[in-house]
Amino acid sequence: MTERTGQAGAGAPKAQRLWLVPALLGLVIALFLASLATGPVRLSVAELLAALLGKGDEAHRVILMDIRLPRAILAVAIGFMLGLAGAAMQGLLRNPLAAPSLFGAPQAAAFSAVVTISLGLNDALSWGLPIAAILGAFASVFLLVAIAGRNASLLLLILAGLAVSSLAGAGTALAMNLAANPFAALEIAFWLMGSLEDRSIRHVTLVLPFILVASVLLYLQRGAFRALSLGEEAAASLGVAVERLRFIVILGVALGVGASVAVAGTIAFIGLIAPHLMRPLVNHDPARLLLPAGLAGAALLLAADIAVRIIPAQSDIKVGVLTSIIGVPFFLLLIVRQRRSLAGGVA
Amino acid sequence: MRWLGALLLLMGAASAEPQRILSLNLCTDQLLVDLAEPGQILGLSPFARDASRSWASEKVSRLPALSGTAEEAIALRPDLVVSSQYMKRETRALIAARGIKVVAFEDPATLAAARSQILEFGRLIGAESRAEARVTELDAAIADLRAASAASPRRVLPFSRRGWVAGRETLMADILREAGLINVAGEMGLSIGGFARLEAVVLLKPDLLLLTREPDRAEDQGQALLLHPALARLFPPEKRIVLRESLTVCGGPALAEALRKLAALLRNRA
Repeated sequence: MTERTGQAGAGAPKAQRLWLVPALLGLVIALFLASLATGPVRLSVAELLAALLGKGDEAHRVILMDIRLPRAILAVAIGFMLGLAGAAMQGLLRNPLAAPSLFGAPQAAAFSAVVTISLGLNDALSWGLPIAAILGAFASVFLLVAIAGRNASLLLLILAGLAVSSLAGAGTALAMNLAANPFAALEIAFWLMGSLEDRSIRHVTLVLPFILVASVLLYLQRGAFRALSLGEEAAASLGVAVERLRFIVILGVALGVGASVAVAGTIAFIGLIAPHLMRPLVNHDPARLLLPAGLAGAALLLAADIAVRIIPAQSDIKVGVLTSIIGVPFFLLLIVRQRRSLAGGVA
Repeated sequence: MRWLGALLLLMGAASAEPQRILSLNLCTDQLLVDLAEPGQILGLSPFARDASRSWASEKVSRLPALSGTAEEAIALRPDLVVSSQYMKRETRALIAARGIKVVAFEDPATLAAARSQILEFGRLIGAESRAEARVTELDAAIADLRAASAASPRRVLPFSRRGWVAGRETLMADILREAGLINVAGEMGLSIGGFARLEAVVLLKPDLLLLTREPDRAEDQGQALLLHPALARLFPPEKRIVLRESLTVCGGPALAEALRKLAALLRNRA
């Protein structure tokens, strides 16, 4: 059902860039190693190697294996998930400005998680937390896709997304407001900034299963996205069950983004930037976009998470703050580029 | 009715000390409950009954805990309101405008300041002898703590949620200094306070981590840090000291108990 729609595509078939995925993989591996080598404690290559092999100083081993390795794994997994989720949303909605974070999915996931923590149903390391976040993300994306309907105009999407994320933000503010613990407001504020700092292997086990399932779910829809780029009627005539596709994408995005938010807070704009950077390199083919977008997301989040440890600052900079500071101007640039189609295209 | 008012006025003049005292802050709650006669206490702050923070939480169950708002304070017609210097400016102005005496206390940053604050509070409410007894108890606890740590001066890191380390201008740093313990915050470049990097804690390996509660539950990411496997591995229970937040959050009457507890724990970990 998904594989026989290969002839569809935005432009004329050009040379396939077979080097793209291996090159991105190489970049991710290089950044992963750089991430292991970065931190407030300077370790030489020899010390790093010794620690990696289980030799050397105990403190070095703990720093590498218990502190830096989980952080690097989380950056790869969450970055990949955000990039892939962005590409999938853009494929489903046939719009390059679609991304989970613009539509309030992380905010809704955060709200849902905060509420369960405030009620004492979950703590920061329990399985209930990613599940609550996933339910919140699912509700928000479902609401958004339902409001946007079949022929989603961009204006409608953006406005609905704004409403959803404002509502979730107000709910989170209420939870901060009502919190009995004086530290709760601060903790929620830090969490909303999005960070990978000092996470442990327990966080990795909490998020990885959901990301794996979500990635497989979304990746299997790649052919359907290509068919969908011809329009819903054309896709349906090619055998794509659009309603089912819609549900699977919402589910995949909710699983991946929700679980990511549960352990790392809200990290925005990776899902917007990564697919956009990769789109020209895959000839605007929504099917071939998914894997490169995920890898680019992983590379971006790794790079951002290295940068926050290198930039000298009094206190550590949260990685979600950095991605937003880079992401928002990028988003504006995208809007400026699409100004003409945005001005005329909204119906 | 007039003669009743005149009588009350006379009684007020006869006893100079305030008879209707209201506390709007967790720390002044503790001083008030500890030093005043129960009949003098008109009301306490909303946190007075919070067992996790209030040292006096057991003693206050029969005393009214208020909302801490200006209108309630005014309606109760106290003759003295005690609070912290961090009291909301607006609240203070509203109460003071009714002619009610408001005294704001600083959070003491040293043991010496805590000592003189207890005496000052005692003078204010007419409980000098009880305040002096408290200070004598505190001095004995300081001496006991010094004796406990003199045997082997150890490197201690006071470590709170998110890795927050108290700076040298805080009571906790002064307690460590007075006790003759080495505060690892200095080695981390955090003498003015700040968030300790987990990697730095692992590398500098203090002899003891000083926590405010047993890291049992990760109710948020800040608390989850205290459960990080790296800390669990390098700091097993015998390398941790837990001094409850309710003992150390204020520099009031709880301090003597806090110091005695710390001394006992240090002897235990020797």
